[in-house]
Amino acid sequence: MSSLDIFLYEWKHFVRNPFKVVALLLFVLAAIYGLHNGANLYHKQKDEIVEVKAKEVEESQKTLTYYEEGKKGPEGRPWIDVSNPFWAIRYTPIYHFKEPSPIMVYSIGQAEQYGFYKRVTFRSSPYDADMAEEIANPERLQSGTLDFIFVVLFLLPLLLLILLYNLKGAETEYGFLPLIEVQVGSKNHWLLSRIAFYLVLLLSVNVLLMLYGASLTAVFANASQDLGIMIFYVVLYFLFWSVIYFFILQRGKSIIGNTLMMMSAWVILAFIIPAMVYQWISIKHPANLMTDLIDSTRDERQKIYDQEDSLIQDQLIVLFPEIVSSVVSNDEAKKNIAMNRSVSALANELMKRSVVAIEAKNQEKNKLVSNSYWYNPISYFHNQLNSIAQTHYNDYQEYRNEVQSLVDKQIRTMVLDIWNDIEVDKAKFLQYRKALASYEN
Amino acid sequence: MIWSIIKNEWQFLIRTRVLLGLSAGFFVLLILSVFLGNQQIKHQTQIYQDAKEHLRQQWESIDAMNPHGAAHYGTYVFKPSSLLNNLDEGIHSVTGNVLKVEGHVQNEIAHSEASQMQTVSKFGKLKSSLILQYLVPLLLIFLAFHSISSEKESGRLKVLVLQGAKPLHLVLAKTISVCLYGILLLVFVIGIYSMVNFQSISTEVITRTSLFFISYATYYFIISGLTVFFSARWQNPTVALTSMLGIWIIWTIFLPSILMTAVEKWHQLPSRNEFKAAMKEDRSQGLDGHNPADERRKTLEEQTLKEYGVDSLSQLPINFDGILMQADEEYGNKVWDKHFGHLHTVLGQQKQSYQLGGLINPFISLQNASKGFMGSDNLHHQEFLVQVETYRRSFIKTLNDKHAFGGSKTGDWGWTADNAFFKSVPDFKYKQLALFSVFSNYRTDVIVLFLWLMMVCLLLMLGARKLQIV
Repeated sequence: MSSLDIFLYEWKHFVRNPFKVVALLLFVLAAIYGLHNGANLYHKQKDEIVEVKAKEVEESQKTLTYYEEGKKGPEGRPWIDVSNPFWAIRYTPIYHFKEPSPIMVYSIGQAEQYGFYKRVTFRSSPYDADMAEEIANPERLQSGTLDFIFVVLFLLPLLLLILLYNLKGAETEYGFLPLIEVQVGSKNHWLLSRIAFYLVLLLSVNVLLMLYGASLTAVFANASQDLGIMIFYVVLYFLFWSVIYFFILQRGKSIIGNTLMMMSAWVILAFIIPAMVYQWISIKHPANLMTDLIDSTRDERQKIYDQEDSLIQDQLIVLFPEIVSSVVSNDEAKKNIAMNRSVSALANELMKRSVVAIEAKNQEKNKLVSNSYWYNPISYFHNQLNSIAQTHYNDYQEYRNEVQSLVDKQIRTMVLDIWNDIEVDKAKFLQYRKALASYEN
Repeated sequence: MIWSIIKNEWQFLIRTRVLLGLSAGFFVLLILSVFLGNQQIKHQTQIYQDAKEHLRQQWESIDAMNPHGAAHYGTYVFKPSSLLNNLDEGIHSVTGNVLKVEGHVQNEIAHSEASQMQTVSKFGKLKSSLILQYLVPLLLIFLAFHSISSEKESGRLKVLVLQGAKPLHLVLAKTISVCLYGILLLVFVIGIYSMVNFQSISTEVITRTSLFFISYATYYFIISGLTVFFSARWQNPTVALTSMLGIWIIWTIFLPSILMTAVEKWHQLPSRNEFKAAMKEDRSQGLDGHNPADERRKTLEEQTLKEYGVDSLSQLPINFDGILMQADEEYGNKVWDKHFGHLHTVLGQQKQSYQLGGLINPFISLQNASKGFMGSDNLHHQEFLVQVETYRRSFIKTLNDKHAFGGSKTGDWGWTADNAFFKSVPDFKYKQLALFSVFSNYRTDVIVLFLWLMMVCLLLMLGARKLQIV
């Protein structure tokens, strides 16, 4: 009996088993539901970004009118002067966004745990409260949104189990196995061909589902290469489970025994190992209560402000050597104001140091997770797929780094322009708007 | 007769090597979950205590500061863990842990544990609830799916009936014997938990764990009964097994996530952008403590001058700025109450709708009850936030009152309160919710679980009536 014949027989087995057909249909429905959840979040974030960008333009327009009407700032706030770089930059609305990737349609990942837009000022930090997640029901966050990757990672092995559980076991129980061996020559070849049928069936269904998902966002236009990589990982994941189930079925002698073994493999890999790793990491590195960050934003920052002017100046010179030869450095009256307005730069350096420590702690946890991959394959696949969808921890880390770069850039521009006594007019304000919105130099 | 069948079943279970092996595995896992969970909570609690003391020490070391400056300096409240969270952590890892308490604004809790690392486990940490909710029912299915069909296959069913066993007694006995196995694991977990935390056991803990126990025991009966029913109805045990596995997958993996997403769509929460813009809009209509042009300020100023019988702010024996800022706070409080209150209402509606989901999926009722009785659900989280906000209001009022009536005059922003005053400001103390005060919120879950219990009993009666003996 050729592989093709085994394939065709298996097709008959499959269509005659309503339980298996219903299981496949349920899987398809869950996958479509998951894809729509991913697409909804993608579109929701996109729409939110459009709204925030409109707000940014509105705010910018408001500041522009001060220049056009020759005003120094808003009514009733005489201390504000937008011709000064300090106030001009403070009144330059800069928002930074974590644009969702179209591939998010497949994997929501950690996207719901972090904010994706932020108003950046020279006093901002990547750990500001507005970097927190969107308003959501915490119980929903805990149960997690059912996305396509959840369906693949957790339901696909179960579907495979439902499709394969009685292969060989049924023949063994009915005593047909020796007969089959006579017909096909090799039991392993026969079993492998039958498993391959379901593999081909499920792979085709999944690729079709992924192509359908691609049509829900701009995957074909903007992320076709990522789609290819994602398909590769999904195929790899299929193969991983197929190999496990093949060995269970090959050695098993009864349907119930095989089902029990397959279910145990799933429970151990999907539940027990990841949960144990998570628990262990939580013991080793409990949740950070951010006391270092709190100290940096309050007491340590106050210490900077309380320093003598000469000390502040020395530290500023280390950060910005250019100010030594600046216009204001020789003007004592302006120098004090410039120094007061530049202290944010020192506070920013302090904040950066505490952020580095926080990130280092987080990376230690991430390293522990990564080190567990060789016995914790589901977490490996989960994080790989999140990375492709740009919804992984590291993608938000990168976003935080970009926010920090924007803060640094604002501070640098502000300090140098204050010390060079630059007067800000409409053209300069527009220049700020453009230059400070990009974190790249 | 029922008890002899149960006794017989247990003798059979004890003789089955595979089951003994599995049981050993479960016992080890459950012991691990309790011990590791305890260690984690103790470690986290230590960090919480250190952080709390550190922040309090900073507050108490303020030598001299303007009270309004102190309101901006503020303080931080950390979310505590309870030893009950060891059994079910609930939403603890996804909610923030740090909340800044300061003037002018009601902040949101930030810095959740889940946001501090990459993804590890979709189903959370190795807590007892993970094993009791997901894995034990699976084991019960494997124990029960063959219970009646094996009697049919071996012909023992006929013998049992001839000996006088009623089919209903038989299916009930099979259900109870399987369910008892789950209950044994449950008793084991609670026993270990009580031993490890003997010193922290209180009436409240006993009440909560008892309800936790009853919820799980009921769910185990539902699972065991349903599997026995399928075993009695289907000729082929494999069909009974696969049907129950299908139900388990739909109940535990599919439906909770789908229903939760659905209720969030039915009762929509605002986006952060909308939420903040709406609060800003409402807030800007009120007093602005720093804006002298505000209309309301003038009214308040006139009232205060009239009250003290003077013509100008400089003649006031008190500091008008403090009164102004407190009035602004009180207006702000109304704004926060409106908007945060709306969030609270929507979250409540979502919870109520989700609880009704228990009618099609008892697993939802079990999860809700488990989290609720262990004090780790959203209701307890919201209560924590309410307590922090109540504290914030009294904290800021104390500072504003000091600013107003502490001895300074209007416009004297350089005036400072002394260290004794800052030491006298009380620290935040979280009062754990007593279960009786919130039990009504879980009534739906408990009722739904009992409805399911009744329905399964009816199914068992039906299954027994239609049981084919020959």
